[in-house]
Amino acid sequence: MSPSPLSRAGSPIVVAAGLRLPQARAGGRYAGEDAAGLGARAARELLARTGLDPAELAEVIVGCVGPPHDQANVGRVLALRAGVPRQVPAYTVGRNCASGMQAVSEAVTRIEAGRGELFLCVGLELMSAYPLIYNRRATAFFARLAAARTLGARLGVFASFRPAMLAPRIALSEGLTDPTNGLIMGKTAEILAREFAISRETADRYALQSHQRARAARDSGRLAREIVPHLPQGARAGEQPLVHDDGIRDEQSLEALAKLKPYFEKPDGRVTVGNSCGITDGATALVVTTEARARAHGLKPLAIVRSLAWAGCDPARMGLGPVYASAKALAESELRVADLATVEINEAFAAQVLACAKAFASAKFGCDELGRGDALGELDPERLNPNGGAIALGHPVGASGARLILTVAHTLTTSDSPYGLAALCIGGGQGGACVLERCAS
Amino acid sequence: MIDLSGLPLPPDAPPAGSCVRVTRPEPGLVVLALDPPHRSLAVFDAPLLRDLDLALTELESDAEMRALVITGREPLSFAAGADVKTIAAVREAEIAARFVRAGQQLFERIHRLSQTGGGRVRVVAAVGGPVPGGACEICLACDRIVLANHPKTRIGLPEVRLGIIPGWGGSQRLPRRIGVPAALGAILQGKLHVPYVAHKLGIVDRLAAPEDLVRIASAIALGKQPCARRERGAWSWLVDRNPLALALIRSQAKKQVLAETKGRYPAALEALDLVSRGPSTPLTRGLEREVDAVRRLATGSVAQSLISLFLLSEEAKRLGKRADGSSAPAIRRGGVIGAGVMGGAIASLMAESRIDVRLSDLSRDALGAAELAHRSDVAKALAKRRLERSQADLALDRFEVSGDLEGFARCDLVLEAVAERIEVKRKVFGELARRVRPDCLLATNTSSLSVTAIAEGLPHPERVVGVHFFNPVKKMPLVEIVRGRATSDETVARASAFALALGKTPVVVADVAGFLVNRILGPYLDEAVRLYEQGADPAAIDAAAVDFGMPMGPLELIDEVGLDIAAHAGSSLVAAYGARMRTSGLLTGLVAAKELGKKSGRGIWAWEKGKGGRARKAGLNPKLPKPSSSLDARLSRDELTDRMILAFVAEAARCLDERVVASERELDLASVFGTGFAPFEGGVWSHARRRGLAAIARRLGELAASPGVAQREGGRERYAACPALG
Repeated sequence: MSPSPLSRAGSPIVVAAGLRLPQARAGGRYAGEDAAGLGARAARELLARTGLDPAELAEVIVGCVGPPHDQANVGRVLALRAGVPRQVPAYTVGRNCASGMQAVSEAVTRIEAGRGELFLCVGLELMSAYPLIYNRRATAFFARLAAARTLGARLGVFASFRPAMLAPRIALSEGLTDPTNGLIMGKTAEILAREFAISRETADRYALQSHQRARAARDSGRLAREIVPHLPQGARAGEQPLVHDDGIRDEQSLEALAKLKPYFEKPDGRVTVGNSCGITDGATALVVTTEARARAHGLKPLAIVRSLAWAGCDPARMGLGPVYASAKALAESELRVADLATVEINEAFAAQVLACAKAFASAKFGCDELGRGDALGELDPERLNPNGGAIALGHPVGASGARLILTVAHTLTTSDSPYGLAALCIGGGQGGACVLERCAS
Repeated sequence: MIDLSGLPLPPDAPPAGSCVRVTRPEPGLVVLALDPPHRSLAVFDAPLLRDLDLALTELESDAEMRALVITGREPLSFAAGADVKTIAAVREAEIAARFVRAGQQLFERIHRLSQTGGGRVRVVAAVGGPVPGGACEICLACDRIVLANHPKTRIGLPEVRLGIIPGWGGSQRLPRRIGVPAALGAILQGKLHVPYVAHKLGIVDRLAAPEDLVRIASAIALGKQPCARRERGAWSWLVDRNPLALALIRSQAKKQVLAETKGRYPAALEALDLVSRGPSTPLTRGLEREVDAVRRLATGSVAQSLISLFLLSEEAKRLGKRADGSSAPAIRRGGVIGAGVMGGAIASLMAESRIDVRLSDLSRDALGAAELAHRSDVAKALAKRRLERSQADLALDRFEVSGDLEGFARCDLVLEAVAERIEVKRKVFGELARRVRPDCLLATNTSSLSVTAIAEGLPHPERVVGVHFFNPVKKMPLVEIVRGRATSDETVARASAFALALGKTPVVVADVAGFLVNRILGPYLDEAVRLYEQGADPAAIDAAAVDFGMPMGPLELIDEVGLDIAAHAGSSLVAAYGARMRTSGLLTGLVAAKELGKKSGRGIWAWEKGKGGRARKAGLNPKLPKPSSSLDARLSRDELTDRMILAFVAEAARCLDERVVASERELDLASVFGTGFAPFEGGVWSHARRRGLAAIARRLGELAASPGVAQREGGRERYAACPALG
């Protein structure tokens, strides 16, 4: 079997290099950071380590779900702060939790089309900086106040003030709610848990495994391969740089997890903060180009991008998005699940990953939902998220798509089979999946 | 007509009338632009004053004119003030006075045209870029000042720093404008202010974008746009003209000036007097006082020395150019290996100077400390408005850290500040050479190793150069550019341009032990230690040097730099130069006992924490060994001074003989900027010439034969005269 990879002029499209900052729990070590500054730090380090002249970049593409209000095109701010010369354009893309993968997808499409060859792709999220927002009534109040010219008019406006105007809108929770059905993401996970009969204990067990695997990956140095340490802005004298993702709980236990109350559906829900991903800050930077171009710059590519696919599904069951997208990506790369050495499915919720695994293995799901005659293929639990996932490492929403690609690429360097898959579920009912192949040296 | 006779005329002086451009863009409005064809940036030299005179004569009879805008060739190019070279060339007090009167008369005529001065024309200055001294004073004579809001703009009256006073009405008009206390602050410190501060202090009335500068100034002059001038109002009577308040302010300011200048710099006291009396005396009388003050100061040795040093530091900028006058390519991305105090500070300075920098060290702690120090420096610059938020962000972004030697491939220069061991430095450069372009400068910040030796065996040794900073990096203005045997001219030019880009003054020196500065400091510092060992009072030793004009006593300086560093530097000098550099064993004993100076709390002196965490002297270190003889116990202050300063002078003379530095002038510059050698003397060699080379040679002979010197090994050699002393 010789699947045809994505390519340009006969040269496969590759992730030429990549690295990321340690991911930090929101409101924690990166609380003093600025979104563009954090992303620029990762981008700058990658440019330094690859020795690439940033003037040669076709464009900088940044995936970010919630750019700060003063950096609507955070990609451009990031690029300039990373030392990319001003003539190189930059833009920001958003596809919710897959924004980082969307940045790679843009680059791949552009390279295939011959519209540029060398791209810097960054996945970025600073959830610490998500704001509280004045509600509409308060906004209207301030607008009236600004328009009032006379003292009498101003007094009249003041009289219209109501305490309810002080109630803020919380960007974080509203951002995590699907406006088409009013479901916050955790509720969609509850729907999957019921549909696929995933018990609270199974979900907790999976969450515990995520922490244990992440800890092992950290201690063995597997995670350190992709991380550059960072001394956060606002650090005090004597503070050590952050070296690892700080969401990994070495002491996590089933007992501790069992004590947590359901967060989204009380009292009978199965999704807790313990078996969900954490709110996190992070940044991952990748260079996407053709293999020939990478080698011309003296780089040994990390991995070939075999295929990259997007799929839509029921917004209320958005957690199954990876199944639909993986089916497409595998078909496009003419590979089977059994060919995969490693699979990363973003751990938005333990119940959601477990539901995906069941859907992968279900012939019924394959027939009814994927239009196949059989199951997509059973995932080997040992090969699914072998380094732990977002439950332990955190899920900086815009960064995770790029982070998963980086992690799969690194895992492939030592795996038996050369193929790997990175997939995410996307709020609003979508999935994204990317098949990678180890690059021959 | 003003009297310019006796003033030097530049050889390329353009014909009369060509230095000032007068245009009439609309009825009633006149725009007067300083545009001398023989200068890239206008200065008030004889031709410009002559043409300003002509232009004003024409305007004074222009009955149509009701609005006058005074501006420069371009919004960010006005004038650099009075021509410093003219002042330096004037040797007679009367001619200096004439130069002052010429400017005063011209500016006074502008003032009389203006509404403030009782005239019929609204005069508005529209200026930007550097606006120092005389350039600021012409503005002060106008009704309103509009300043270009741009990072390149700086305005102020820095004359005191050159040993003179603002003599074209500045000392009188500024206190009238902003009050005596603020004017004293501005003039005594001679600070050049950024636009925001200048506006806040009231030195200017309005800020405008450079592109809009002349348009807005014209509108204000024509009365189409309001522009209020902040009035002092009642404050003027309560403070500026209140004898009681003034007496208090004067005595406070005088105390401070004397503490800072030790009475060496008469200009500050003259300025204090002029400014504080300004508002309460009629302007004409005040202007006469300015003339008198300049007459006393301008041809004096202090002003001549300070002006000469200023011109020397300007001349040093030529080092950044190639022989054909073209500029050496700028360093845009640099690396620093070694995140100690020096390396960290150099990297931080590079980032602040808009150079991308990557700092590498094996120790994460050192990197973290360096990064935090950089962030704190940038935060301070932000707080003082030297940087805007966006620039501060970039200064932080530009500072990369690395635990290894990866990521240096695109560097134009990598500077090493690692341990002072040749094999370590060679290893670092060897590994770097494999990672960087062949034209990437490899700079060493070594202070005691040979650049030639470090370069040996490296590919492309022509790009290896010494770039020797002094501690504390951000404060010390001098950088020694050390030329090794293989170092190319291009490398020297690029390294000098690099130092200039960091705001430093480069001096090119030969690759000899200690280079220039540490070599001439060595015998001076050791002699101070010897004096103590031979019975002189340590407080008297330090006081003698400070009295002479050194910024601090030598024993205190040893504590400041660290006894370990001083001892190491001393021993490398002994190895290279033999007997005359032989050091007292005192320091090595203290170093072994971990008594390292300020950093460890005790060196020669004992130090305790004073105000603001600064170290304060608390007597002698009790562990200091007692004097071993009393040979020098009865030396007078002058004898103490000669023993130290002439050891310095004699070694400086040898450096001239050996061509360690190219010229006497550069030796002067390096001695002041590198060691703090009495600036009012104009540097070590100016001092030697003033005292007389023959007299110095004689005195050296006497010292060599004196018991405190003759009886110890190497003493006579230290005080041996050499050919440079005639």
